[in-house]
Amino acid sequence: MTLFESVFAGNDAVYGLTEGAINQAIEQYGADKAVSFPDTAYALPCYYAVTGVKVTTLAELKEALGVVKTLMTREKRTHDVFMSGVATALCAEFIEVLKYIDGAAPYEEPCYGHLADAVIRELGVPLVTGDIPGVAVILGKAKDAEEAAALVKSYQAQGILVTLVGDIIDQLAEVGYKTGANVRVIPLGKDVTAVIHVVSVALRAALIFGNVKPGDAATLMEYTMKRVPAFVNAFAPLNDVIVACGAGAIALGFPVITNQADVARVPKSLICQTDVSKWNATSLEARDIKIKITNIDIPVAFASAFEGEIIRRKDMRVEFDGSRVDCAELVHTCDASEVEDHKITVVGPEVDEMADGSKNSIAYVVKVAGKNMQPDFEPVIERKFHNYINCIEGVYHTGQRDMQRIRISHAAFDAGFRIKHIGEVLYAQVKNEFDAVVDKCEVVIYTDPAECTRIRHEVAIPIFEKRDDRLANLTDESVDVYYSCILCQAFSPSHVCVVTPERLGLCGAVSWLDAKATNELDPNGPCQVITKERPIDENLGAYEDVDEAVKKFSQGALEHVTLYSIMQDPMTSCGCFECICGIEPFSNGVVIANREYAGMTPLGMTFSEMASMTGGGVQTPGFMGHGKHFIASKKFMKAEGGIERIVWMPKELKDFIADRLNASAKDLYGIDNFTDMIGDETIATDPETLVTFLTEKGHPALGLDPMM
Amino acid sequence: MPFNQKLQKFNAKINTVTIGSGDKTVTIGGDSTFPFYTFDAPSENTPKIGVEISDMGLENVVSEGIKAYYEGASTIGEMAKKAAAMEGADFVALILEGGDPNGVNKSVDELIAVVKEVADAIDAPLVVEGCKNVEKDAELLPKVAEALQGRNVLILSEKEENYKAIGAAAGLAYDQIVGAESAVDINLAKQLNVVTTQLGVNPQKIVMNIGSAAAGYGYEYVVSTMDRIKGAALSQNDNMLQMPIITPVSAETWGVKEATASEADMPEWGPEEERGIDMEVMTAAADLAAGSDAVILRHPEAVAAVSRLIKALA
Amino acid sequence: MALNGIQIFKLTPKKNCKECGCPTCMAFSMKVAQGAMKIEQCPHMSDEAIASLSEATAPPMKTIKIGTGDGEFTLGGETVLFRHEKTFVSKPRYAVALCTCMDDATVDAKLAEIPKVDYDRIGERMYAELIYVNCSEGADAAKYTALVEKAAGLGRTLVLGCTDPEIAKAALAVCKDSKPVLNGANASNYEAMNAVATEAGVVLGVSGKDLNELYDTTAALEKLGNKNLVLDTTGADIKETFANTVQVRRAALKDQDRTFGYPSIVNLVKIAKGDLHLQAALAAMFTMKYGSIIVMEQMTYAEALPLYGLRQNVFTDPQKPMKVEPGIYPLNGADENSLVVTTVDFALTYFVVSGELERSGVPLNLVINDAGGLSVLTSWAAGKFSGNSISTYIKENVEPKVKCRKLVIPGKVAVLKGDLEAKLPGWEIIVGPREAVQLVKFLKDMQAQGQI
Repeated sequence: MTLFESVFAGNDAVYGLTEGAINQAIEQYGADKAVSFPDTAYALPCYYAVTGVKVTTLAELKEALGVVKTLMTREKRTHDVFMSGVATALCAEFIEVLKYIDGAAPYEEPCYGHLADAVIRELGVPLVTGDIPGVAVILGKAKDAEEAAALVKSYQAQGILVTLVGDIIDQLAEVGYKTGANVRVIPLGKDVTAVIHVVSVALRAALIFGNVKPGDAATLMEYTMKRVPAFVNAFAPLNDVIVACGAGAIALGFPVITNQADVARVPKSLICQTDVSKWNATSLEARDIKIKITNIDIPVAFASAFEGEIIRRKDMRVEFDGSRVDCAELVHTCDASEVEDHKITVVGPEVDEMADGSKNSIAYVVKVAGKNMQPDFEPVIERKFHNYINCIEGVYHTGQRDMQRIRISHAAFDAGFRIKHIGEVLYAQVKNEFDAVVDKCEVVIYTDPAECTRIRHEVAIPIFEKRDDRLANLTDESVDVYYSCILCQAFSPSHVCVVTPERLGLCGAVSWLDAKATNELDPNGPCQVITKERPIDENLGAYEDVDEAVKKFSQGALEHVTLYSIMQDPMTSCGCFECICGIEPFSNGVVIANREYAGMTPLGMTFSEMASMTGGGVQTPGFMGHGKHFIASKKFMKAEGGIERIVWMPKELKDFIADRLNASAKDLYGIDNFTDMIGDETIATDPETLVTFLTEKGHPALGLDPMM
Repeated sequence: MPFNQKLQKFNAKINTVTIGSGDKTVTIGGDSTFPFYTFDAPSENTPKIGVEISDMGLENVVSEGIKAYYEGASTIGEMAKKAAAMEGADFVALILEGGDPNGVNKSVDELIAVVKEVADAIDAPLVVEGCKNVEKDAELLPKVAEALQGRNVLILSEKEENYKAIGAAAGLAYDQIVGAESAVDINLAKQLNVVTTQLGVNPQKIVMNIGSAAAGYGYEYVVSTMDRIKGAALSQNDNMLQMPIITPVSAETWGVKEATASEADMPEWGPEEERGIDMEVMTAAADLAAGSDAVILRHPEAVAAVSRLIKALA
Repeated sequence: MALNGIQIFKLTPKKNCKECGCPTCMAFSMKVAQGAMKIEQCPHMSDEAIASLSEATAPPMKTIKIGTGDGEFTLGGETVLFRHEKTFVSKPRYAVALCTCMDDATVDAKLAEIPKVDYDRIGERMYAELIYVNCSEGADAAKYTALVEKAAGLGRTLVLGCTDPEIAKAALAVCKDSKPVLNGANASNYEAMNAVATEAGVVLGVSGKDLNELYDTTAALEKLGNKNLVLDTTGADIKETFANTVQVRRAALKDQDRTFGYPSIVNLVKIAKGDLHLQAALAAMFTMKYGSIIVMEQMTYAEALPLYGLRQNVFTDPQKPMKVEPGIYPLNGADENSLVVTTVDFALTYFVVSGELERSGVPLNLVINDAGGLSVLTSWAAGKFSGNSISTYIKENVEPKVKCRKLVIPGKVAVLKGDLEAKLPGWEIIVGPREAVQLVKFLKDMQAQGQI
């Protein structure tokens, strides 16, 4: 039988039963008899939520059944399947409400049946906060009581609310498994129609917490799909009625996982997993539920207070040293199927097998998978490893990439700390801090020296090189969006940084990739996407999009900003710039001073004097704050001719940036050793001497048009 | 040639939020000018004053004037009645400072009993302030919201760390007013409003506490944050910053040494009572000048003086 | 519209003669643009250039100087309506009011009370800088002059509130050398008052029954060549006074109406007489919004402590945070054996941390070294609150004076622990909590565990 036939048959069967039951009730009680569930302000909540009509009497119920019938179209389209599913669910609600006629109490311990509004308000809050990360609806009969208990326990341990329908209730009772709302395992009832009581919870949650208008079925289903993290686990054998109910669940966005091998599968919605022990993982993945890790399972403390701890040689049990032997640390983006969540593998000897005080190899590869994961985030995650490992009591970490050094103290070792615990820490922290992009995470730690050599040279280094190439080739033109950064607005209210690949934040700390990751991880945070679809002047780097963003994020204080000019609407500064460049009129050039330089510049101003007029989010044409690395960028004051305008900078800064600046000058103008033409404080600190020097060296700026 | 008076008209306004139920409600917000700029446009609602009482009774109160005012009130319910009756009071603010795990650490049940007693004793609009500990408040304030269903109280406060629990309980489950508290930074204030509304909370049921300080204690951040929020709300029509602002003043001002150091310790400073009142009055006046739509105070003389100020400027 | 430095530079002689005191014409131009120097300070500027620039570079609000010596104060010169836009430059100054209507005993009591409030707060002297001497109706020249002389005896700068030109002249005869303000010009007397003030060389205060009259009188005085003015914006009541004061400042700064580009006088005695708490509220309000001279009935510590703290905060340069002096601050009766705690010199951090430490009741030495006036994480990131800077300061300044060898560092810089242990042999470095509010519990726990 096809899925269509199955659902339609199940729906028809339930409809028939409902019709019969309603007719019989009318016969018995009369059409005016009141029908209601106890302790709810939403009448028959499911029917009310879907249609906006409150049913209060048997007569109205009969009328409502007529409406339900109109949903039961029989075209072989998914829409018809879903609507028949919904119709089945509504019929179930009708059957269930008949049980409550005359204030009857149809359910007895341990079953709950209908759940009161108060319960929903109470459960709703932890559902919204994620304290209840999901809702499992388990239906049918497990192979045995042990299998039933194991499945329920696996969800319970994760804080997931479990609701039970059918024989599984008896199976749990058989082994004395504790149930009840207080332990978040709620047996609903043994008839399959009892499943409506959890649907009723989901739909009332939409009305209460989602402000969904009763009768607005589209919004209702969008809400349950997006906000109610429920899923169904249905034990084989499935009959048509269950399949029809399942279609209703899928219509609300709840995937169904079953072990019925011959079921017609629907990707991401109707999933067959014959191994019940894997239902937990399969369900969580299907419903995209992420479990927060509140406790890292290691034998020593983990806290930022240990970040500054240094393990001295005499206190050290073992060390790993990338500068002497092959080491590496790496985040590697994989397909979800290649990652087994929370699997931690140690390949090679444990600390126990290493000589006291010895130097060893280590390489750890953190494999991550996620719908929103991008390889660009790998270095962002990797950079946090230092902090994570350092926060372990008795463990010390410095360096990165393939140059890290780790020491484990005697005290930590004696407390039971082992290599695998590094994996636990990395797993937990990556999952917690990067939950926006990482869905699954697995850690492999190599201590086998040959494996470490292989990982370092064959895996890690090629990846690092690829990343460096990507960074080097990332240009403003090669990307579709830039990012705003307003991290500094606390003390510089109107300042907005526009971060582009070739222009990192003026503090030097926020690159385009950082801003991108920040945005992805915290969509409401300080970094927002700025499109670049409406250029005004590409040479100046003026865009309508950029102006709009700057105006918005500066609360109207700034209207126009160019990316590549220091003369026209230059970008503002908060005050945390690494460097300031300022126009030097006598040489047609610019002078750059870095924060560390305390002396005089040929402008007649010191860094701090320049800073006083450049900071605070104000635009001062002719002056601009920027990061050190921006100096060598091909976009550095491109509108005014670029880096060949640079006539002076402090020696220390010049030396620091020389290689990259010379390379850019060679690329742009074919000038060799450009920095030799640039003055510094050992050559001149006044404009006259500087111009003499520049003339001697034939500095190109002298031949350029004046900047003003 | 007469003065060419140019009015500053904005096509945007601060949201109006009504606290309380039944006959006794108080409405804040609604203005489309900077605070008290009635020459630009008439004011819709004057700023309001709340009188703060604590679950700890008078235990941590140093001021003789405050103690004297509540003399004879033997229960928190009676204190609440007196607070509501104070001259100049528009609403009552109950602070649950006893819940602080680093302090007395009262249980949630114990505090809910206090909340209920206060709510039963008065029909004045009510604001309930948590204990400031984010974990405890995440547990406590949802219960407060539940216990006070139908009273339309303002729950102070949800913070970035616990906005989901408190926002969902107060704003969604139990239909109260959500107080969104941030630490004197316009972007943090806005971000909290954004995520709170994303939770589904109606923006018209959010009041901000943008953070406060006593005069002299980093107050410049308070001024600039409020100036910027009002500016963005009115001139940029930024609807994620148009929530009215409430500022708990007394919790800050009665903790600084200018208010608490006794005359015995600081003879040249003179009587501490006067110092405490003026610290409260001046900080409140500064808050109102910067943009608070409501302030929370303790001392009867401070409440009266600030009330006179508001009336004089209205 | 104000000119920027580049536009000004184009008009300079570009000779780098240094005669203005700046090393280059560029540096000079940038200073003029910032309002730190006047265009006339360039000796080589052409007359046309000066003419075209002085209008464009003239500040929208004049800077008025009153008093002499220690009692000299600068009023006005503001360029923005909100401090976050740039910075407020001239603090309001507070005046305590005396009046011929007071009896001698009251006057003497006031004069005895005023000097009592005089203290230092983060490097700033806090006291009532001015005395307002009011000449009430019916008082004669002798009586007023006597009161003025008596007030002058205190050595504070005076503001004379007097609308009778003859009486004013007599009073100025005894005090004009100390450059008081003569507050008394109005629509009916401004010509005579102008003559008196100009002759005495003092700033003249102008008032009017409403903003139009104030505007006209000010314009008339300017026409007479007097631009050494302050505007008394006090109205009939509180509401009108607030409206006047805000609108005068806004007209000057936002609408560039130079006639209102003068500092203000707000007389709280007139609008809230006898209500000291209301005056306190108003003083705070006008400190925030645009009072330049604020006249009050009294300035005891009750008013001063919050008010001066507020003023210090509001008039901080947003880009230059307030700093406390480096040093060892013993708290709660600490001695040389008491625990050492350190944090940065950023005033806000210091106040919050020291407040919590005091609340704990635990005797300890709070050590502050120069961290650039930045918060803990910012100064750490800038390298100003580092293992080096802390250990050097401790070795040089703390070790000779304090015997205890336990140092608590802020939790946010836990990362410094190892470095400090290496650089401070013999010291136990303890990582404190991340937030100041956790200090009380942290210290009490330390006490309970017998660590201190």
